[in-house]
Amino acid sequence: MTVLAEPLPAARRRRARMTPARWGLYAFILISALYFLLPLYVMVVTSLKPMAEIRQGNLLALPVSPSIDAWVTAWASACTGLTCQGIKVGFFNSVRILLPSVFISILVGSLTGYALSLWRVRGASILFGAMMVVAFIPYQLFIYPLVRVFAFTGLGQSLLTIVIIHTIFGLPTMTLLFRNYFTSLPPELFKAARVDGAGFYQIYARIMMPMATPMIVVAVILQTTGIWNDFILGLVFAGRDNLPMTVQLNNIVNSTQGERAYNVDMAATLLTALLPLLVYFGSGRWFVRGIAAGAVKG
Amino acid sequence: MRLSLSSRLSVVLALLPALMVMIVVYIGATGWTVWMSLTNSRMLPNNNFVGLRQYESLFGNDRWITSVHNVVIYGVLFVSLALAVGFLLAVAIDQRVRAEDTIRSIYLYPYSMSFVVTGLVWQWLLNPSLGIQHVLRSWGFAGATFDWIVRPERAIYCLVVAGVWQASGLVMAIMLAGLRGIDDEIWKAARIDGLPKWRVYASIVIPMMGASFATAAVLLSTAVVRLYDLSVAMTNGGPGIASEVPAKFVMDHLFERANIGLATAAATTMLVTVIAVVAPYLYWRARKGDIR
Amino acid sequence: MKRALFASVAIAAMALAPVPVRAEEMKAEVIHWWTSGGEAAAVKVFADQFTKAGGTWIDSAVAGAANARNAAISRTVSGNPPTAMQLNTGKQFDELVEGDLLADVDTVATEGNWKSVMPQAFIAAATRKGKMYAVPVNIHGQNWLWYNKAVLTSIGAAEPKTWDDAFAVLDKLKVDGKVIPLAFSGQKNWEQNLFSAVLIGVGGGPMWVGIMGKRDAALARSAEFKAVAVAYKKLKNYVDAGAPGRNWNDATSLVIQGKAGMQIMGDWAKGEFVAAGKVADKDYGCTVLSNHGGGYMMGGDVFVFPKSKDAATTKAQMTLAKLMLAPETQIQFALKKGSIPVRSDVDSSALDACAQKGMRYVADKAQQLPSVDMLAAPALVGAVQDAISQYWNTDMSADEFSAKVAAVLKAQD
Repeated sequence: MTVLAEPLPAARRRRARMTPARWGLYAFILISALYFLLPLYVMVVTSLKPMAEIRQGNLLALPVSPSIDAWVTAWASACTGLTCQGIKVGFFNSVRILLPSVFISILVGSLTGYALSLWRVRGASILFGAMMVVAFIPYQLFIYPLVRVFAFTGLGQSLLTIVIIHTIFGLPTMTLLFRNYFTSLPPELFKAARVDGAGFYQIYARIMMPMATPMIVVAVILQTTGIWNDFILGLVFAGRDNLPMTVQLNNIVNSTQGERAYNVDMAATLLTALLPLLVYFGSGRWFVRGIAAGAVKG
Repeated sequence: MRLSLSSRLSVVLALLPALMVMIVVYIGATGWTVWMSLTNSRMLPNNNFVGLRQYESLFGNDRWITSVHNVVIYGVLFVSLALAVGFLLAVAIDQRVRAEDTIRSIYLYPYSMSFVVTGLVWQWLLNPSLGIQHVLRSWGFAGATFDWIVRPERAIYCLVVAGVWQASGLVMAIMLAGLRGIDDEIWKAARIDGLPKWRVYASIVIPMMGASFATAAVLLSTAVVRLYDLSVAMTNGGPGIASEVPAKFVMDHLFERANIGLATAAATTMLVTVIAVVAPYLYWRARKGDIR
Repeated sequence: MKRALFASVAIAAMALAPVPVRAEEMKAEVIHWWTSGGEAAAVKVFADQFTKAGGTWIDSAVAGAANARNAAISRTVSGNPPTAMQLNTGKQFDELVEGDLLADVDTVATEGNWKSVMPQAFIAAATRKGKMYAVPVNIHGQNWLWYNKAVLTSIGAAEPKTWDDAFAVLDKLKVDGKVIPLAFSGQKNWEQNLFSAVLIGVGGGPMWVGIMGKRDAALARSAEFKAVAVAYKKLKNYVDAGAPGRNWNDATSLVIQGKAGMQIMGDWAKGEFVAAGKVADKDYGCTVLSNHGGGYMMGGDVFVFPKSKDAATTKAQMTLAKLMLAPETQIQFALKKGSIPVRSDVDSSALDACAQKGMRYVADKAQQLPSVDMLAAPALVGAVQDAISQYWNTDMSADEFSAKVAAVLKAQD
């Protein structure tokens, strides 16, 4: 365990000594970590095995002759229909969809949450209530009517359409997240800013959003995951020039009547999950810092 | 506090996108959905009014009844377990443990992956002739039995296992944000009073984290109602119809089975149920807000 | 080389997609769900032929029939349809024809004399209001029995011909206890496929058409139908505990490795045997079980063409229709796909032993039986599927099951 220790930021308190309670704590953390890591382990070892080994059915066994062929195939040459260029084709499409969608949906959601939580607006609770309700509706239901709406507006299937779609479907959750957060902040902060004569957008940009860093991180995590992993909306609304990576992933892993290469499936999934994983690991440090910045004293 | 005209305009401007989305998308599309449920639409929407016939066949449909039953079991277990596990993980991490970043990422990573394939992995792990049971037996535990996924009356609990695996990291993140927001003074005061740690958590910290619990619970509940991918990838609703869920019923009938009428009737029923559950809660919250 | 060239053409076409098409240019965007290696190789046969004919094939592959249909139909109703889309041979395009959304291919069919070379059931399945609206491109036999020859030899059993034979072999395998007698993939559609095979094999062709095609509720309550139900449920004694949720190819893999004796599956399973280096009639055998002298359940895929006002698109559509059915294309496609050609007048010598057996079944009118998709609309297929799946997985009795099926058939009127 000690090997894992890293230099501490000076501000942190000294760690507790290893008492029995601490041992129990670490045992709990270790066991739960194993539960979380087990599927990932299976995916990684499977992706490194040749098919003959996978057919033997020893799920947890390490590969006898590990090879990264499946990874290369998944990235560069797996067939997704007639184009045999792996899942790399959709990677940049997914990035192009992700960045504006995450940014705009968080902007709109936080603004809405802010307006609904701190400003007394007539009908605010009705609007918020309605949004809460729709957060529960399976969004697949809206596909047909929305196809019609976008055909009517002339936007059809395009990058802009899919960004709007993600903003629409992210709105209830994002609003909820930020509204709850802003409501939990001490009201004195807001009142003081009002007394100082700050306006609506000033308070939002200068005071509220900097304080909302932890929630922004959670929001980024939620939206990145949801948008990056979305399949059906991208398929229907992005247009065939902007099809996201998940469409190719689905083509590789979900073909119904063809032979299935599980090693390539696993490698393709891990590759597809790479960007959200990086965001998670990257935001981890930022997360702590964000909380330090956002922690309200007294 | 009265609002100036410019503030008032700013507020309206900020709420405009939400308002438009509500009216055009949600109310419009919901209206369409309700209307479709009163027609005999199959593959393409049509306007042949058939009254409540779709609802009649919906409630005579075993699969729908099982789906509703399942989502209740799943919902109760999934939300309470994910909240409990997530909170415990957050508390554990908050004890200034080593390698916090790594541990936090381990708990959180499942949320980054779609169930398209992680569902397959769980299916393998839980499969008696392939996964955990097989491994335990090959280690010499001949009597080890873990075959819930192939037993119709237990399969739904397997979905809970995988669901909690995916979601509790997110709960942990939300809870950790809440825990770190709690003033150090409270801890100092508690130490001076000589309160044991668990008492501080139970009687001071948890009540202070209402917002975190509420946010997490609502996020989890929306995931319950929308539960779809997991059922498809892990059991495809099986064995038989044992692990079917309502959103899957809607999706299957909307596309694969080309039965828009029945699908929208199911969706409308879901919607009405959600309103019936959420509305009183919102009313209660609004009342509470007024008092404050 | 050709593939690379083709890919670059496809990419160039994608980049140019928003530019309006000139009238003489033939472009075809095709939505289909053939995404795996063997399937893609089969589609490439069509694409290559189209390129040779001077067209540009734009490939829109989406895995999963429901996903592909969803994308294609969404686009068709929003006025931005693909040039062609894949469906299963059967009733899936009824409403598209009713909504006047499809172009008919009757002229091409008449010119090519399709009606004299195609099985009657396929012509009927593609025809609406007296005109052909779809191009059937292949025939998949769906009720094949695949068995491991070494395993059957080891217990001294010969190839079963009837379901009674099969039960005897299964009993022997069970007593022997070395392998799983019946490899099974416990997912709803395969539970239904197995049931269909038993219904045809034990109940006979007329009962099959009577239940699924004519929705004869009285027949579903008959003693004969209950006997089918009993035989079906009896098969559960021969499957292993790991069957529920298993993928069909993993079940096939059990047969290939000799861990299981046999499997009932469509002829796409052959691809797995071939991929594992096994040879038909040597390592594995194939037959269709029947107590009534035969009954070959035929399904397949069709392409339909959304109506277009643009002359170039219509030209591309008719060109596609024509060359998909050209004899050379047909045989090449079947070789790659593992199916058999939809035309009976092609040279089948290049096909393997099992495919040739299939060709013989199809050539015999008495053997031809339409698949479930051809007999019933998706909504009914799904409702019956739920009933079968419940019956297979619970302790529901055959009586209850027959009452349930009768009720489902009645409700769909």
